[in-house]
Amino acid sequence: MSHLDDPLRAGDDGGGALLRTISARRGGIGVAALLAITGLVFTWQAALSDFGDFALPGPGFFPLILGILVVVLAVVIGVGDWLQVASGEAVALGHRDVLIVLAAMLAVPPLFEPLGAYVTLGLFGAALLVLIARCSLLVAGLSAAIGMAACWYFFQVLLALRLPIGPF
Amino acid sequence: MTGLDQLLGGFAIALSWKGLLYCFIGCLWGTIVGVLPGLGPLAGMTLLLPLTFGLDPAIGIIMLTGIFYGAMYGGSTTSILVRIPGEAASVVTCIDGYEMARQGRAGPALMVAAVGSFIGGTFSIIGLMLIAPPLAKVMIAIGPSVEVVLMLLALSVISVVSAGSRLKTIMMVALGLLLATIGLDHMTGLPRLTFGSTTLAGGLSFTSLAIGLFGISEILINLEKTDTIKAITPKLRDLVPRRKDIRDSAPAIGRASIIGFIFGVIPGVSHVVSTFVSYAVEKRFSAHPEEFGHGAIAGVAGPETANNAVTGTAMIPLLALGIPSIPATALLLSALTIHGVQPGPLLLTDHPEVFWSLVASMYIGNVILLILNLPLVGIFVNLLRIPYAWLVPIILIISVIGVYSVAFSSADIWLMVISGAVGYVLRKFGYEMAALLLAFVLGGRIDENLRLALTMSGGSYATFADHASLIVLTSVLGLLLVVQGLAWVFGYRKSVADEAESA
Repeated sequence: MSHLDDPLRAGDDGGGALLRTISARRGGIGVAALLAITGLVFTWQAALSDFGDFALPGPGFFPLILGILVVVLAVVIGVGDWLQVASGEAVALGHRDVLIVLAAMLAVPPLFEPLGAYVTLGLFGAALLVLIARCSLLVAGLSAAIGMAACWYFFQVLLALRLPIGPF
Repeated sequence: MTGLDQLLGGFAIALSWKGLLYCFIGCLWGTIVGVLPGLGPLAGMTLLLPLTFGLDPAIGIIMLTGIFYGAMYGGSTTSILVRIPGEAASVVTCIDGYEMARQGRAGPALMVAAVGSFIGGTFSIIGLMLIAPPLAKVMIAIGPSVEVVLMLLALSVISVVSAGSRLKTIMMVALGLLLATIGLDHMTGLPRLTFGSTTLAGGLSFTSLAIGLFGISEILINLEKTDTIKAITPKLRDLVPRRKDIRDSAPAIGRASIIGFIFGVIPGVSHVVSTFVSYAVEKRFSAHPEEFGHGAIAGVAGPETANNAVTGTAMIPLLALGIPSIPATALLLSALTIHGVQPGPLLLTDHPEVFWSLVASMYIGNVILLILNLPLVGIFVNLLRIPYAWLVPIILIISVIGVYSVAFSSADIWLMVISGAVGYVLRKFGYEMAALLLAFVLGGRIDENLRLALTMSGGSYATFADHASLIVLTSVLGLLLVVQGLAWVFGYRKSVADEAESA
């Protein structure tokens, strides 16, 4: 993907102060560990459901087997990565724009219904335009307002989709 | 009612003003998402999914399918003119397509890609029309045990044909199956893996998961890249290929139609793999293999035909068996279910109008795309001038609204955001999201049919090795042997990928 003819981004080859490069081996082990924990949590939850027996499985049968399988696979992948000779391959995490988008997106679900769809998404869009596209506040605000008006017309008027309007 | 009558009935729906309008919207939007890097057919279809809610199921599916094959067309434009694949299946086209453009031959490359796409697409629709109805008849007679065998085989094949680490793909399959079991158990009505939450009792939303794992993660990955592009825009009069171009590309189009057709029914990333296989086959068959990588027209015609030939055949397992073979058809399955239409063997008897109007619309859509893509290529290329940082909020806002409108629940937005972040990290470390998503779609049915089959057989696992299961097993293994027969081609995949990297 490219940022095309965007001069503002052309010179930004850094990615922010939080950008960290970690070895693919170490990162792979970390991801495998997280997957193993996920598998363990699901295994524990599945164990609370009725397992039945092998001839007539209960609701917990399939999830329990799969949970254990996820743990086993994660361990195998993690150990495989651990035993791997360091290749020097690196993975970059923590890019500035990625973190901004993630943080902005995390704010959307809790505000979406209380504040209303159009206000929440308008603020979200304006924030991204200022922080990612580096627009002025005025341009970002105007663009977000026009965008939300278009969204309202398309979704609410044309498609009759009732999105939450919040306290307004 | 004969097949011809039903097809004519399908054409009547597809040629109605509504059918034509929504087919056109689907093709146009598909081309746009195919052109724009970071928006593939899956994200494109999900974004317009809410638009189908107020429509007749047949019309809604016509539009969504139009997006699917429209994206395949659109992807070639940016590959050839900018050396940026609009979507994964167009990566190989970059190699020779961009070289041709640099040599001032972008027009013939685009023309051959469009015509090849048209021929490949039409070839696969004929296959869909001929194979799906008899296959559905056979499948009606089978029981839950055979369905389990079939679905497990489909998941096994994903692991075999995956491009990355097999172990990681199996992990994603297991995780997808596990996530599918969240919610109420269909057999007993008891909650499973819900952590006491009533929100999770309804299970995870496929749309949220698909948009998060594919759309959002793709956007996050793309945000890290900062390269700039220069587009080569040909004039309309430059589109006509030379006689030598036609001579070189015609056999490639023929071979690639067959390759795409075969790979279309294989679950996983068949549309991507088919392009690599086609490229390698063309290189092997060529009298001048040294031209590949330096602007060989067969290197454009083959892959572009193959990825469009996949679109029709990918519909066969979906419509006849109810088993999606690629993520885009998984979304179609989800859309059909939302409309109260269950894809599978009974589709042709319960909703023949959906099947036949879809087939008819694919013929029409291919013509629309041919007309749309060539004269308007300049406009589509200009879309790339929109800075990506401006596109990100637009795509994300539409994604949020699309996801929310499926069930009007903020929980679905949460799921989309979380799966987007998880998908981003997993993809950075080489895990395949397609495997997870396909396993998620099939997981509930595997669980249900497995237990149903065991209940019906009194707990005997021998039910999974009965006569019908063995026939299915043998047929699928036969198909796998055909694919393995093409295995020599796979040896080329790495070198092709290297060439793509260095091109």
